[in-house]
Amino acid sequence: MPKPYHLVAICMAIFFSTPVLLGQESDSSVVETDSAVMVNDTDDVFDPNVVSAGKELFDNQCAVCHQMTKRVVGPALAGISDRLEEEWLITWIRNSQQLIGSGDEYANQIFNDYSKLTMQAFDLSDSEIKSILTYIKSETANGSAVEDVVAVSSTTSVSVPQEDGFFTAVVVMIIFSGFLILVLLILIRSVITKHKKEKHFNEHGGSVIDLNAKEVSFLKSNAFLGLVVFIFTAIALKTLIDGAFSIGVQQGYQPTQPINYSHKVHAGDFEIDCNYCHTGVKKSRSANIPSPNICMNCHTDIKNVGGQDGISPEISKIYAAVDYNPDTREYGTNTKPIEWVRVHNLPDLAYFNHSQHVDVAEMECQTCHGPIQEMDVVYQYSNLTMGWCINCHRETDVNTKGNGYYDNLVELHNEKSKEPMKVEDIGGLECAKCHY
Amino acid sequence: MRKAIHKTLVIAFVAALIVGCTAKGEDPGTEFSPQMYHSTAYEPLSQVVDESQGDWLDSNPEDGHGEFYNSNPYNAHGMTMREPVEGTVRRGKYLPYRIAKDSVAQAAGLINPYEGNPDIIPQGKALYDRFCDHCHGANGEGDGLVGKVLLGIPKYNVGATKELPAGHIFHVITHGIRRMGAHGSQLSEDERWKIVSYVQTLQNQ
Repeated sequence: MPKPYHLVAICMAIFFSTPVLLGQESDSSVVETDSAVMVNDTDDVFDPNVVSAGKELFDNQCAVCHQMTKRVVGPALAGISDRLEEEWLITWIRNSQQLIGSGDEYANQIFNDYSKLTMQAFDLSDSEIKSILTYIKSETANGSAVEDVVAVSSTTSVSVPQEDGFFTAVVVMIIFSGFLILVLLILIRSVITKHKKEKHFNEHGGSVIDLNAKEVSFLKSNAFLGLVVFIFTAIALKTLIDGAFSIGVQQGYQPTQPINYSHKVHAGDFEIDCNYCHTGVKKSRSANIPSPNICMNCHTDIKNVGGQDGISPEISKIYAAVDYNPDTREYGTNTKPIEWVRVHNLPDLAYFNHSQHVDVAEMECQTCHGPIQEMDVVYQYSNLTMGWCINCHRETDVNTKGNGYYDNLVELHNEKSKEPMKVEDIGGLECAKCHY
Repeated sequence: MRKAIHKTLVIAFVAALIVGCTAKGEDPGTEFSPQMYHSTAYEPLSQVVDESQGDWLDSNPEDGHGEFYNSNPYNAHGMTMREPVEGTVRRGKYLPYRIAKDSVAQAAGLINPYEGNPDIIPQGKALYDRFCDHCHGANGEGDGLVGKVLLGIPKYNVGATKELPAGHIFHVITHGIRRMGAHGSQLSEDERWKIVSYVQTLQNQ
């Protein structure tokens, strides 16, 4: 058997060497990015002043829709001057709609190819447009370098090594803690064996068998059985009472929805505010289930998840509901509602108002709905019982800051009490506030 | 001792039965008094299309459907919620905005009721952060988290976008333009003007 301290020493060595390894990994990715940018800067053929002026204009005004080698919103622009006359390009950039209207064949073709998306008119001078074109030419000449920059600067390729690093760290931690546990077990075992050996020596070998006989008679004794029955009854009673209190409480209800919509992606990863879709939350009793026209604000163009091509089957369910044809970008009339399954079913006997809590009290959605930004499928987080409401109304201070409505109430309250004004002090426990 | 064990087993059995009533996953659990949970009146945000739902405790069998059925047969798809009748006007401060989506040039002349009112900017910013931020970015540079996926979102403070008048911005929020969707259904006209006020500060940053 290896000596325990040797194992510990090996573990320590592995553990402390990992940060060094990780550090090297992330450093190397930085170096790669730098070198790729450096290559791109070498250019002698074009007037550097014109190119830099063109680059500035391009970055500010064109880059949102165009890249050099990749189709984004508009076409890829590398080699555009070889494909089209400069004069045509200037007319197009100034006012593409006018050119399309004039019946220019190529203008109409490109307009239709790009789903009839209008390119905005740019009020640029001839020389400004020419400088942009020069910049594009210079980038085209550096073709390979451009590709490198695109590849390295895209978020995925940089983030992958970091994730790898994280993974390695986790694995090493697990191995390390595993070794620690092993070492501990070995130590404990050796202590016990030592102890047993001593005992054996003292009682001349008979002790182990005697002990087992004692254990059996103890298991059969009334006292022991009584104890077991008592513990079992207590657990059963506790389960019974908890179960009885859960009747009519839908906490944990997590129905499958007709569209596999994820709050984690929308509210978590993309940080879209809850209010963007749940438009009623600050204005009315209901937070509102968004109508599909709100989905379509983004999903006319975001047709699939994770940057994949084609249309995701889940997103095509929205298209079917609003009768939208993603190829022609046109809506039909054959619409039908999406039948979401309601998760939070407050009984009809209780009145609850979202706007009072979210707009006036400025409460976070998560206070009642839990970590909704981490839920792929929504479940009911709180129990929504009356006791739960009442308890919060007893504990919560009224948000009176900057709200003139409460001025007199706060004044009256402060005359009588030194405690801050709670919701129960202004009628938060009155029956008719919620039941009428 | 036997008796005690029997009692315990009975309690355990009842407990197991009742635990089965708890909500979990697809199962909403057992309701304590279902008639107090389900609305007889039409509920705008819930709908029960199945006529047999709640047959077992129907208090008025003459209506021909179960107790929990909640669906308006006179509406399309039996919906309990309806869109407002076309041409109806909401009561309140503003007359409805009538400039058509294509006539964005017409909107340029509109005047922001909050023009030159710096007190409204924080309210505009709060609305901007909730409704615009994820695409247009915190400073209107088109670099919001969704904007980075969507692409093609112009910066506010550059080129032609910098010069756009308040009315144009209002029109675009209402009806959308190019790839931007219409946000008139999510924001009241008052809120849209507040956002316009804030966006104009971003144009000049």
